[in-house]
Amino acid sequence: MKYIYSIIKADYLQRTRSYSFLITLAITIYAAYSFVPPPSASYTTLNVVGYKGIYNSAWVGHVSAMMSTIMLSLYGFFLINGGIKKDVDTGIGQIIATTPLSNFGYLLSKTLSNFLVLLTITGITFMMSIVMFFVRTDGSSFVLTDFVLPYLFFALPALLFISSLAVVGEVFLGRKSILQYVVFFFLFGVIMSNVVGHSGSTAITFVDPFGVNAMTNSVKDKVNTQYHEHIEAVNLGFTFSAKHRFKTFVWDGISWTSIFLLSRLVWVCFAFAIVYFSSFFFHRFDFKQPVSKKKKEPAFSASSGISEFAKGINVALLPPVVADYSIFPFVKTELLLLIRKGSKWFWMINGGAWISMLFVPLNVAHAYILPVLLFLQVTRFSDIATKEITNRLHYFTWSSYKPLQRMLPSQLLAGVILAVGLALPVMLRYAIISDFYTVLNLINGAVFVVLLSVGLGILSGGKKLFEILFFFITYCVIEKIPVADYIGSMQHNSHTGFITTVLILNLFLAAISFGVRNYQVRHL
Amino acid sequence: MALEIKNLTKQYNKHKTGLSDYSITIDRGILGLLGPNGAGKSTLMKIIATISKPTAGTLFLDGEDIVNNPDYIRKMLGYLPQDFGVYPNLNAYEFLAYVAALKGVGGVGLKRRIDMLLDGVNLTADAKRPIGSYSGGMKQRIGIAQALLNDPKVLIFDEPTVGLDPEERVRFRQLISDMANDCIIILSSHIVSDIETIADEVAIMQGGVLLQKGSKPDIVKLVEGKVFETVVDSNALAALKAAHLVIDTSRQRENTKARYITRNQPAAPGSNPVNATLEDAYLFLTHNKA
Repeated sequence: MKYIYSIIKADYLQRTRSYSFLITLAITIYAAYSFVPPPSASYTTLNVVGYKGIYNSAWVGHVSAMMSTIMLSLYGFFLINGGIKKDVDTGIGQIIATTPLSNFGYLLSKTLSNFLVLLTITGITFMMSIVMFFVRTDGSSFVLTDFVLPYLFFALPALLFISSLAVVGEVFLGRKSILQYVVFFFLFGVIMSNVVGHSGSTAITFVDPFGVNAMTNSVKDKVNTQYHEHIEAVNLGFTFSAKHRFKTFVWDGISWTSIFLLSRLVWVCFAFAIVYFSSFFFHRFDFKQPVSKKKKEPAFSASSGISEFAKGINVALLPPVVADYSIFPFVKTELLLLIRKGSKWFWMINGGAWISMLFVPLNVAHAYILPVLLFLQVTRFSDIATKEITNRLHYFTWSSYKPLQRMLPSQLLAGVILAVGLALPVMLRYAIISDFYTVLNLINGAVFVVLLSVGLGILSGGKKLFEILFFFITYCVIEKIPVADYIGSMQHNSHTGFITTVLILNLFLAAISFGVRNYQVRHL
Repeated sequence: MALEIKNLTKQYNKHKTGLSDYSITIDRGILGLLGPNGAGKSTLMKIIATISKPTAGTLFLDGEDIVNNPDYIRKMLGYLPQDFGVYPNLNAYEFLAYVAALKGVGGVGLKRRIDMLLDGVNLTADAKRPIGSYSGGMKQRIGIAQALLNDPKVLIFDEPTVGLDPEERVRFRQLISDMANDCIIILSSHIVSDIETIADEVAIMQGGVLLQKGSKPDIVKLVEGKVFETVVDSNALAALKAAHLVIDTSRQRENTKARYITRNQPAAPGSNPVNATLEDAYLFLTHNKA
C-alpha cells in the first residue's frame, strides 16, 4: 500500500504541475461561476419549462454539485486519459514492470491519481458554489450539508467511475486515443439518454452513475405537486431561452434514501471491480511486435552494424547547396504528418462522413456531421504546434532560419488545409446555392479550430487543454448553444457581427501564438 | 572565420547559473569541450545555436552580433543536440528533406545530397522505413547527416558519439577531421579519448566557468611530472587518497595499482612517474577547482 501511495503521489504531482492544469482550474472557476446564473441571464442550468427554483442553500448546492458532476465527468475523461501512455512514452513503465508491484496495484494507483486530479477540480467548484451562494442569494440561510452531501453522493462516485473508466479504456484500447474518446462519448450519451427525463425507479437509480435521475425527479415532483402540473421534461445543462417570466418554487433538496445511497456504493464498487477485471488484460509494458503479413525484413539490415565498413561522407563530393527559403516543403511535410497520424482505417470513417456530407440534407451536414468530423481529427489538430517539442525536434526547428516566419505559418496553413478540406462538401453545396456568407463562416471556423489548437498548445505546452475545449465546443454546437457556434451553423442576429467576432477571435489567437512562440524560440 | 564570445552569462533563475562571465575565441578547427555534468557545455552550445538567449555578454561571428541577429549564423549552422528527437512517422529521406527545408536548402541537387549523406552514414537500406523503428545508433547517424545538409560553416556536436558503435565512432572522427579545415567545429563529449583524438584545442569547463583553454600539449603540460603509479595495500591506499588525487585504481591480487597526481607534495615512496594524458589534466583541473 505504501508503494501505491508513492505512485499516486508522484503521478498526481506530475499531472498537476503544468500550465495546462492551471488553465483548466481557471476555466473551472469560470464554469462554477456560470452554474449559478443571475436572474437576468439568458440561460438556466436546471430547467423546468416555465418554472424556476428560488436560489436557496439546497438549490445552489445541489445544482452546482450536479453540474460539476456532469461537466467534470464529460471533460474529466479527456483530462485524465493517457496516464499509462505517459509511462510508456517516458520509459518509466519498463522500470515499473520490473518491480513487485502487481498489475492491479498499478492500475489502482493510476485510477486513484486520476480521481485525485478530478477531486482537486471538484474542490474548486465546491468552494466556488459556496461563494456563489452568497453572491446570488439575499438573506437566505446557509446550510453546509446542502453543499457537502450533494458533492459527496453525486460527484465522488461518478468521478471515481470516470477515473476507472479512463484506466480501463487505456488497458483495452491502448494508444488509440481517438477510439477511446469516441467510445466514451457514445457511452456517456447512452447513460444520459437513459437517465435524464425518465421517471424515477429503483432500476434507473442503479444504472445512473451520476445520480442525475434522482435529482431531476425530485425537482419535477416538487413543481408538479406545488402547481398541479404534469411536467415530464427537466433539462440539466446550459439551456438558453429568451423567456424571462417564470413561476418560482422553493426546493429543499433531495431526501437521501437508502436505495439511492446503496446505488452510489454500487458504483464505487463497480469502479474498483472493472479496474480489477482489466488488470488480467494489462500488457505490463510488454509489447509484442506486430506481425506483418508482408515478407519479413531481415533481422539485421545492411546498416545494423554487421555489414561492411561504410564509405563515410566525403563532404567535398556533395552537390553544392542551393538556397530555398520557401515554406512549401514544410507545408507538405506538416500535411504528411497530419495525414499519417493515427490509424489508417480511421480515414475510412473520415471518408464515409465526408462523402455523406454531399448527400444528406445540408443543415444536417453542417450542424451535425461536420462538427463531429472535425472533432474526430482532435488528436491531429491538438499537436500541430506541440509535436516538435514532444518529439524533441524543436532543437532543429527553433535553430533554423527564420523559424517564426516560416515554421509556424506552415503549421497553421497545413492545419487549415486539412480543416477546409474536410469541410469542402458543405462549402461546395453552399457555394452552389450562392450562400457565400456561410462559405466564409466555414473558412473562418476552420481557421478558428486550427488557431485555437495552436494557441492553446503554445500557451500550455500540451494538447489536453485544446482537446477538452474542442470537445466541449463540439458538444455545445450539436446541442445548438449559439455561443459555441464557430462554423456558423445557427442563426445569428447580425451576419457581419458574427463573422467579425470569429475573425477578431482568430486575430487574437494568432497574435498570442506568434507572440509566445517568438519568446520560446530564443529561450530554451 | 572566428567566433568571439565575451563575458557571456546565462542565469536561469536566482539559484541556477548556466554560464558565468564566460569568454572564449573559437577559430577554424575542432574545439573539444570537456567538463562534468552541469559544467555549462550544453548551455554554451544552445546559446551559440541561437535557441537560448544569454542574460549578458556578446557573441560575434565574423564581426556579426548573433545574439541580436541570430539568422546570420542559422544559415550556416549544423547542430546535433544531445537529446534530439525525430518525427517517428517520417522515413529517413522525408525527415532529411524536412530538415533541409528548415535550413533553407533546396534545388535539384538536394535529392542527390540526401542520398549521398544517407549512404555516408550507412542508412540507404533503411531510408524508406519510419524513423520510429530505428535503433539509437541509427537515429544518431540520422542526426549527424542532418547537421551536414546545408554545408555548414559552424558545426556544433553535443555528445555526438553516444549510441555509435566503435566503427561508427572512427568514421565520425574521420568525417569531422575532414571538415575541420573549413569550419568551426565545437564538440562536447564525456569520452575524453574522443576529444583527445580529434580536437585541435580543448576547453575545460566547470560550474559555468572556463577553467582552461589551449592545445592538447599545452593542457597536458599542466600535469607533466605530476602523474605517478604505485602498487599499495588497502591501508596505504586510504593514505594515498588523502594525500593525493587518485584518478584510477585496479586490483592486482592482494594489492591495488593506483594512478595519482601530486598536488604540491612529493610523490609517495615506491611510485613510478608515468606520461601524463589529457584525462589526467582534465581530472586535475576539475578536482583542483572543486
